[in-house]
Amino acid sequence: MQKEDTVKLISAEGFEFVIDKKAAMVSQTIRNMLTSPGSFAETQLGEVTFPEISTTILEKICQYFYWSMQYASGKETEFHIEPELTLELMMAANYLHT
Amino acid sequence: MEIESRLVRLCIESACRSGDAVKKWRMQRRTLEHLPSPLADALLRRLLQRRLLSPSLLEVFKICVEEADLRGEISVDAEWMAYLGGFRYLRCLNIADCHRITSSALWAISGMANLKEVDLSRCAKVTDAGIRHLLSISTLEKLRVSGTGLTADGIALLASLSNLLVLDLGGLPVTDKALKSLQVLKKLQHLDLWGSDLTDNGVILLEKFPRLSFLSLAWTKVTTLPNLSSLECLNMSKCTIKSILGGTGDKAHLAKLQIAGATLLNEAEAFMHIEPSFLTFLDASHTQISRFYFLSSMKSLECLDLSSSGIGDDSVELIAQIGGNLRNLNLNNTGVTSSGVGILAGYVPNLEIFSLSHTSVDDIAIAYIGVIPKLKAIDLSHTKVKGFIDYGDAEPDKVYTLMALQSLSSLERLNLEQIYIQDDALCSLLDFPGLRHLFLQSGYLTDLSLHHWSSLHCLKTLGFRDAVLTNQGLDSFKPPVTLELLDLRGCWLLTEDAILLFHRKYPRIELKHELIHVSASDHPLSNFPSKSQFKRTPPVNINSEKLFLSPTFVDQRLKYNRGELLALQYSSLSLQPNYGDGAIFKMPTD
Repeated sequence: MQKEDTVKLISAEGFEFVIDKKAAMVSQTIRNMLTSPGSFAETQLGEVTFPEISTTILEKICQYFYWSMQYASGKETEFHIEPELTLELMMAANYLHT
Repeated sequence: MEIESRLVRLCIESACRSGDAVKKWRMQRRTLEHLPSPLADALLRRLLQRRLLSPSLLEVFKICVEEADLRGEISVDAEWMAYLGGFRYLRCLNIADCHRITSSALWAISGMANLKEVDLSRCAKVTDAGIRHLLSISTLEKLRVSGTGLTADGIALLASLSNLLVLDLGGLPVTDKALKSLQVLKKLQHLDLWGSDLTDNGVILLEKFPRLSFLSLAWTKVTTLPNLSSLECLNMSKCTIKSILGGTGDKAHLAKLQIAGATLLNEAEAFMHIEPSFLTFLDASHTQISRFYFLSSMKSLECLDLSSSGIGDDSVELIAQIGGNLRNLNLNNTGVTSSGVGILAGYVPNLEIFSLSHTSVDDIAIAYIGVIPKLKAIDLSHTKVKGFIDYGDAEPDKVYTLMALQSLSSLERLNLEQIYIQDDALCSLLDFPGLRHLFLQSGYLTDLSLHHWSSLHCLKTLGFRDAVLTNQGLDSFKPPVTLELLDLRGCWLLTEDAILLFHRKYPRIELKHELIHVSASDHPLSNFPSKSQFKRTPPVNINSEKLFLSPTFVDQRLKYNRGELLALQYSSLSLQPNYGDGAIFKMPTD
């Protein structure tokens, strides 16, 4: 995979998730960060740090990005969310506009 | 507020899936405290819909919720109110139609520091004593107490809520004297006094509200309304009207006027003082008005409702003169005929919604309607439209009229209920790719025309009522993927099984029929709808009830092909007494 096709999402604990750029673009917030003009660190390095999102939640978010792309292409499966994650995941989703 | 993010919606669904799911997150106190209020409000609403909310669960929301919408929830009582009183940042509380709310239950919310909106509509047990508890909430801007047990004395007490902008006193015994004590509410913009005891003497006091822009005096004895220069919306439905806004001073820029069902002693006099150029909305339905000259200067009208009024073809010319801005025109149940539509057609370039239900317009009108370029919705139900013009022997072929609508590129909604329309006349509707809602109801429709609608790719609602539709016809119908509602009421040939089979194949489509009402499945993934999704109308068929008791039960019709199934049906006729389980072999006799 080409480096420019991926982005690195970093959780509060410093855990790094490398995912497809177009998957990350499911989030309007990340899309804005990566495509905004100027030389923000995010745009340059393809790295975004989320100091308020824990590793567990960020992993779930990444899963959602891929599920969402599949869903859009017609593969209608269920996205399972554990009830104990709902509150934090909801807040992260709200922040990421996804 | 509607939550836009899909993941947030999925989270809310998951959090509200069951009582056990709630237990998993309700102890996460710190997270709950940080929950942004739009999310918390939406979560609270969904919990309520899913019947998972209890007073003790309310407690976990005390920091995060700003808007609590509990209207119509019968279990809401004093205990709930005690917890709601502890919501520190509550801005808006809606407990309309919560019938267990009493005056003393309101004690819990007295003195709340951030509360701006309270809706107590139709809480009949709230009386003057209850209102006293609200007087300490000085921040209150919107208060709705229509249909409560308040008396004129209680209403007078509201004068101390000096920040009120909106006050709904509908259906209460507001007297001239009570209104006098409310004069101090100088910020008031919206005042609803429908059904009050106000008279022409009291209504003069309304001049003391300098910012009043919305006023409802419907169902009152008021006949003469003085000039209120700030007024924009006025409702005097069901009143006997002498004059509106007469008097000196700056003319009100009235934009919206409702006089539905009112009696006008003299049309010319009633409208004389209204500045016509600002009026965009006029509802004069169910009035006995027969002369419509007052319309001629209302050049800004966008929405005009003259249904069930005395208008006929002779006055249509007056609508044509002011038709330039019209978007919505309702002429239901009037004397307007096709020639009236002809007069109008060229003069309403912006018309989007056109209702002609219960008139005597016929197929000639359709050609005229076809030249109104921006039409989105047409209602031709209960008219003489047939879909074709028969010239008799002179022209052997039928001339199909609905073709004329093909020029309407924005058409989304078409109502053709209760007219004598046949399958062939509907063929021309297939060229309406943008059609979203189609309503048909005719005993002449058959399987044939149902199949047409497969090719309408935007169709969301399809009414196909009273048709001669067979089980086979429904079975072979391939609905467009967008379809959300299929109304089959009155299709008397259909059996319950055939409808259920269709639902099994297309679980996302809500079905309506006398035998059974099937809502769309909440979870598109489950193949077997839960029992609660079926709302039955009696008589309940015990046999098919059994079908849904076991989620692993395979419907026999899915296992066998049609020929085999028919054979089985007949074999069951002879064998039936020997079979214990009649669920599998249900007689096609009903």
